[in-house]
Amino acid sequence: MRPPARVQGRRPLAGLLTTLALAGLLAWTEAAGATLLIDVQSADGRPLPGAVVTVRPLDGQARRAAPVHAVMDQVNRAFEPDLLVIPVGSTVEFPNSDSVNHQIYSFSAAKRFQLPLYRGKPYPPVHFDQAGVVTLGCNIHDEMLAYLLVTDAPWFGRTDGSGAFSVDLPRGRYRVALWHPRLRDSEADLERELTVGETDRADLTLRLSKPLQSAPLAGRSHSWGY
Amino acid sequence: MGLLRRRAPLLMLASLLAAGCTVARATDWELSVDARGVSSSAARSFMDGGFGATRFGSNDDGVQLGRARLALTQPFGDVWSVHLDASMYDNLGRSPVGVTEAFVLFRPYPRAGYRFRLKAGGFYPPVSLENRTSGWESPYTLSYSAINSWLAVEVRTIGLEGQLDWLGRHSGHDFDLGVTGGVFGWNDGAGVMMANNGFVVTDRQTPLFGRIGQPGVPPLSGAEPFLEIDHRAGAYAGLEARYLDRLVLRALRYDNRADPTQVDTVSGAIAWNTRFNSAGARLEAEHGWTVIAQWLDGDTTIAPQGHALTWPFHAEFALLAKRFGRHTLSARYDRFAVETHPPGAYGAQDGHAWTAAWLFDADPHWRFALEWLQVVSSSINREEFAGPLLATEKQLQLSVRYALGSSR
Repeated sequence: MRPPARVQGRRPLAGLLTTLALAGLLAWTEAAGATLLIDVQSADGRPLPGAVVTVRPLDGQARRAAPVHAVMDQVNRAFEPDLLVIPVGSTVEFPNSDSVNHQIYSFSAAKRFQLPLYRGKPYPPVHFDQAGVVTLGCNIHDEMLAYLLVTDAPWFGRTDGSGAFSVDLPRGRYRVALWHPRLRDSEADLERELTVGETDRADLTLRLSKPLQSAPLAGRSHSWGY
Repeated sequence: MGLLRRRAPLLMLASLLAAGCTVARATDWELSVDARGVSSSAARSFMDGGFGATRFGSNDDGVQLGRARLALTQPFGDVWSVHLDASMYDNLGRSPVGVTEAFVLFRPYPRAGYRFRLKAGGFYPPVSLENRTSGWESPYTLSYSAINSWLAVEVRTIGLEGQLDWLGRHSGHDFDLGVTGGVFGWNDGAGVMMANNGFVVTDRQTPLFGRIGQPGVPPLSGAEPFLEIDHRAGAYAGLEARYLDRLVLRALRYDNRADPTQVDTVSGAIAWNTRFNSAGARLEAEHGWTVIAQWLDGDTTIAPQGHALTWPFHAEFALLAKRFGRHTLSARYDRFAVETHPPGAYGAQDGHAWTAAWLFDADPHWRFALEWLQVVSSSINREEFAGPLLATEKQLQLSVRYALGSSR
């Protein structure tokens, strides 16, 4: 009984899939231009992982990326992760996995808030409704430092281990911007405008002109005071 | 009565802390016991009525208590907290258990890039760059440098300290800047140790309102560093700069503003006018390297019958440490001197010290340490008390510390 049923059931599904694929292909040929591949290099020409790339259309209004619910934890007196990129309107939870209290704060223009995190007590997530860089600190542990990049860009992401970031974009003109928490270059110097869609693939290499600020020291005890 | 009067600020803090236990926020606590195996060639320590420049003399060979410690932090709401640090070292103090630091901290959240902090109670002025772990311990060596040993023995702020920081690193800059100012009393006795015994290399912190030396045993005779004699507040002002998480620079001007002509009517103790400038740098780099250098230059003066006697003092040290995972190897060189004005008077000292230590943080509870210390010094006072003018003193310590706490 089973094989005929499967064959019978397959026909309408296959038809639907074909229709969908055709519609998608039509939509793609109409709107999708190509894959934008961005390579980010540090000042000495080496690949730069972890850099934030944002892509905004120059022609017309694209829809913003959908808000997300993200988590910024506190582990061993450090923020985990040390950088989150979230769309405008997202919420972030600060759970505090440490056995010590924290007092999280930001005085950045994009979001000013204070959040005491006492052991074993959950706190409601914080809503980020304005684009910009939010620098996070702890009023008890001064060495704790992390960043939230709240973006209104429809496309964004971070470069991978080989300093690469790629995104499929509809045909059109775009502004590409780069940000990194330890960037010394001015962000304006790293902005590029380009047209996507003339060929299947658009390539862009961005190279910093100044070395990044030194990375936080690894392996030191976070339990020390001053 | 006098004792009660002097301890009034402490009692106030203790009752505040007791009241705090009834509020909802959990108390943070830490309890630790540090046992030592000691082998020393030094003379009796200053606490034991001697001129030894190390914490333990040859009479202390064997197993000793390094420190038993209980620390409590009680938050009151978000921005207020009370801190209490109580320790037991030996039976040479006024009481077996003493409070080394006790203070109320007001720490509002930063606003517009600036943060203000206010401390009230008894605590260390911001001088040391090596005493950075809980209980004002050093993560590099068991014994503190000569400079910070002196602070541990007879310097404490019993008063108020305000600190204003500009948090540049939270606004996209590479550095933070801070200014500190303190106003204090109950430290008119600071200087008695410097003039009598000079610099030592120890890790015994005199509790607030504690005594040094033994009553009736010169030279210190149970002197009290934490006395208010002339009812004139002392003050200090300092600067701090931090570059990323790598470099800390500190400078402080301190003056207890004691009137050196005054004598305590209760105990007969003399007011010591102690002033100093201090500066220091701590550099931390990749691969676990740390370098610390501190410098101290000051003097202390008494003039009980109008005849001023002054002891200028200066000290410096350089420390190099390397961390290998949970192991830390450190080496420190200290240099120190006390002079006299008029020259040739009682109290001149000159010396240097080498410290080498290995610290192993086995887990959050157990720490093991081994430290070798050698102090070479000349001391006029020691010679006057039938000791040698020149002495080389060595101390070897093995430490086993067990710690428990709300965050371990």
